[in-house]
Amino acid sequence: MWKHCINAICEPGSLQHDLSRAWAHERTARRRAPRRVTQLLLILFAASALLGASLSALARPTIDELKARAVLDDYEANIVFGYNIVMETSKYAGRYAGSSLSCTSCHLRGGTQPDGFPLNVAGVYPKWRAKNGVRNGIGMRIRDCFLYSLNGIMPPEESPEVLAVAAYVSYLSEGEVIGRPPKGWGVPTLPDTGADPNPPRGQAIYQRVCAVCHGAKGEGQGPVPAVWGLNSFNAGAGLNNVQKLAGFIWANMPMGNERSLTYQEALDVAAFINLQYRAFDPREGRLKKLAERIYHRLTLIFGKDNP
Amino acid sequence: MSLLREMLPDLSWWRSADWRREAIAGWTGALLVIPQAITFAYLSGVAPEYGLYCAVFVALLSSLFGNSPMVGGPNTAVAILLGLTVLPFAGRGSPLFTELVLVLSLVVGLIQILIWLLRGAELFRYFSPAAITGIKAGVGVLLITSALEGGLGLSPMTTNFFYEKFYIALVSWQDLVNPYAATVSGVTIAAGLLLKKNWLRSYIIGAVLIGTLVGAGIYGLLGPVQSQLELLGHVTLRGLPLNVPRIGPQHWLFLEQVVPQAMAIAVLGLAQSLVIARDLKARAARDLDLHKEVFAQGISNALSPFFSAFAGSGSFNRTSVALEMGARTPASGIVAAFAVVVIAWALGPLLVWLPMPVIAGVMTLVGIGMIQGKEIRPLLNRVDGPVFLITVLAIIFVSLEIGILVAVAVSVGFFVASASKVKLAVSREGDKEHIVVSGNLFYASLDHLAKQLRSDPSTRTILDLGRVPYCDASALALFESIRRERQLYGGQLDVVAA
Repeated sequence: MWKHCINAICEPGSLQHDLSRAWAHERTARRRAPRRVTQLLLILFAASALLGASLSALARPTIDELKARAVLDDYEANIVFGYNIVMETSKYAGRYAGSSLSCTSCHLRGGTQPDGFPLNVAGVYPKWRAKNGVRNGIGMRIRDCFLYSLNGIMPPEESPEVLAVAAYVSYLSEGEVIGRPPKGWGVPTLPDTGADPNPPRGQAIYQRVCAVCHGAKGEGQGPVPAVWGLNSFNAGAGLNNVQKLAGFIWANMPMGNERSLTYQEALDVAAFINLQYRAFDPREGRLKKLAERIYHRLTLIFGKDNP
Repeated sequence: MSLLREMLPDLSWWRSADWRREAIAGWTGALLVIPQAITFAYLSGVAPEYGLYCAVFVALLSSLFGNSPMVGGPNTAVAILLGLTVLPFAGRGSPLFTELVLVLSLVVGLIQILIWLLRGAELFRYFSPAAITGIKAGVGVLLITSALEGGLGLSPMTTNFFYEKFYIALVSWQDLVNPYAATVSGVTIAAGLLLKKNWLRSYIIGAVLIGTLVGAGIYGLLGPVQSQLELLGHVTLRGLPLNVPRIGPQHWLFLEQVVPQAMAIAVLGLAQSLVIARDLKARAARDLDLHKEVFAQGISNALSPFFSAFAGSGSFNRTSVALEMGARTPASGIVAAFAVVVIAWALGPLLVWLPMPVIAGVMTLVGIGMIQGKEIRPLLNRVDGPVFLITVLAIIFVSLEIGILVAVAVSVGFFVASASKVKLAVSREGDKEHIVVSGNLFYASLDHLAKQLRSDPSTRTILDLGRVPYCDASALALFESIRRERQLYGGQLDVVAA
């Protein structure tokens, strides 16, 4: 019985057998110890070199580094294209852009500025948005920006422009936690000032502080975006919301002297800007709107139940 | 010297041209080419501008260097092949993709110039009309298939077999198909088919107008969000879009991989142009030099990337319209090139609102136009029928470039097979046998004759070779051995040419 057991343990292939072979190997190896140390050192050296190389490869290359490379793979080429679109939308995505704005007009510094609509948000999508009442992927979100904030034409989901901006967003989101909003997401929500926004006071502040760059009629110039009028975002855009615009203005304007306005001043300027005319919300068809307006006029003239 | 004469533009037609008729033909052609240029740019996967530049510069250069009323410019098969070739190497429509398309166009042009230097125009004589009709029909099917996604508002998809797409769209239409896009493309196609009966020359323009009106109505009522109609967008045209094609390491790596495809595109482009030229030579322009046309195609494609255009070739439908409108010289092509600039510039703001389902509808209409019953019906015989059928099936089931090679191989094969048939007319006068041979006598076609002659070695035979255009050494050896055989058995063989 005992013998049987021993045989079973020491059978070739069993754990016991392997262990006993390993011990024997150890004994012979100890005799060649000096060589083994050098081997170990070599392996350590190689491993550290590999680790260093891979770490430097893992570090995110800047856009300029990418642009300087001779050969880009498809993802990197797409990132560069996306960066170009974000910086000069009407040049690189002119097919779908409408207004004179670029993405970077709101997503400041190419979407790298916290509290200035940073673009490192790939981990947040897909998510449900009240704006269109459906679950939005990053592609849908980008298309919405073209339609509302750029007052342009909605590009198709698989258009090269949308794919490129999506790649750039992923590139910026490296290191962020998936599913959690990044630090400085969107714009800060201003605390309640206890007073209503006051557009006339906002107009005075605008003319004093903002008009230097944005123009007395909000028309903008060169890279400085128009803030109202047909060359600005339309009435469906996210910034056409006094609270949001006030947060954006307080955190980022006037450029170079940020956070110099008080909460109330930012609120007043936002209220003033959003009272000006801009292109209408494209969520409703133009023809339908026209028909409604004509119908309304007709009922005003001919209707009996309207006083 | 003759090479130099083929290279330089020949402007001798300048004085003899009837400029009024040429101008009318040119303006009509320009109206026709604009929807096609946008469509073919979409097919090849680049921005619509490049198609319009192709319609301007490739057309202008090929008319200037050529000597025929053939209208060059964007071409269906060439555009499809350019897009398919570049697709594995870069994201469709990205800047790298566009660069690769332009570099590929340059190489295609250079290969065509090489073919010109090697006097390749002679070769295209063996391209049988059945194969050309087969290629056209196959491309027509490809066009209709690739119009499907745009027409129904689907995302682009790649399937192994062309019918898979129809199956997918049909089975899950409730989830996939955008009803508004389907309506617009359906209206465009229906309008085109109805207008085609009475308005053959420019029914596509009418279809585009009607489709755009319906699309604009839907877009206006529902807005972009609810209708999800895809629009063409801004087309920014520059007057002189000069561009130096970038050839970096990436482009070299790409070119290394695609030489066979580039050759297929070059051959396909030339084949279409030369079939048109051959047709023209019979109908309108007698002093047409095929070599000169080959050079014109090659140089216009090689120069196209320098004007931000992709490669093109002669166009069947636009050339036939130009001929109907009275074009007899290259003047119509030159007028058309300038007219495209004027019309595209004037229509620019309107083109922004052109719905893409209308473009898909135009693609379907062009595809239907390429499958022409009146061209296919005469092919239903024992030689042309199989060539046509094999070409079409190879193109729609395998791929376009393979299909072209198959078409060449099959048309040469059937030609050889038909050439190796000889007819024997046997008649007897008393004990004398009289055999009249018609057909080429060479090693591949001797079996039948040898069997007949060896059936009875004792007869006296008169062999009439008067209708034999060609007789090779193996045939002569056969006659010699049979004569010797007959002498042994008391027969006789006289070879005459009556």
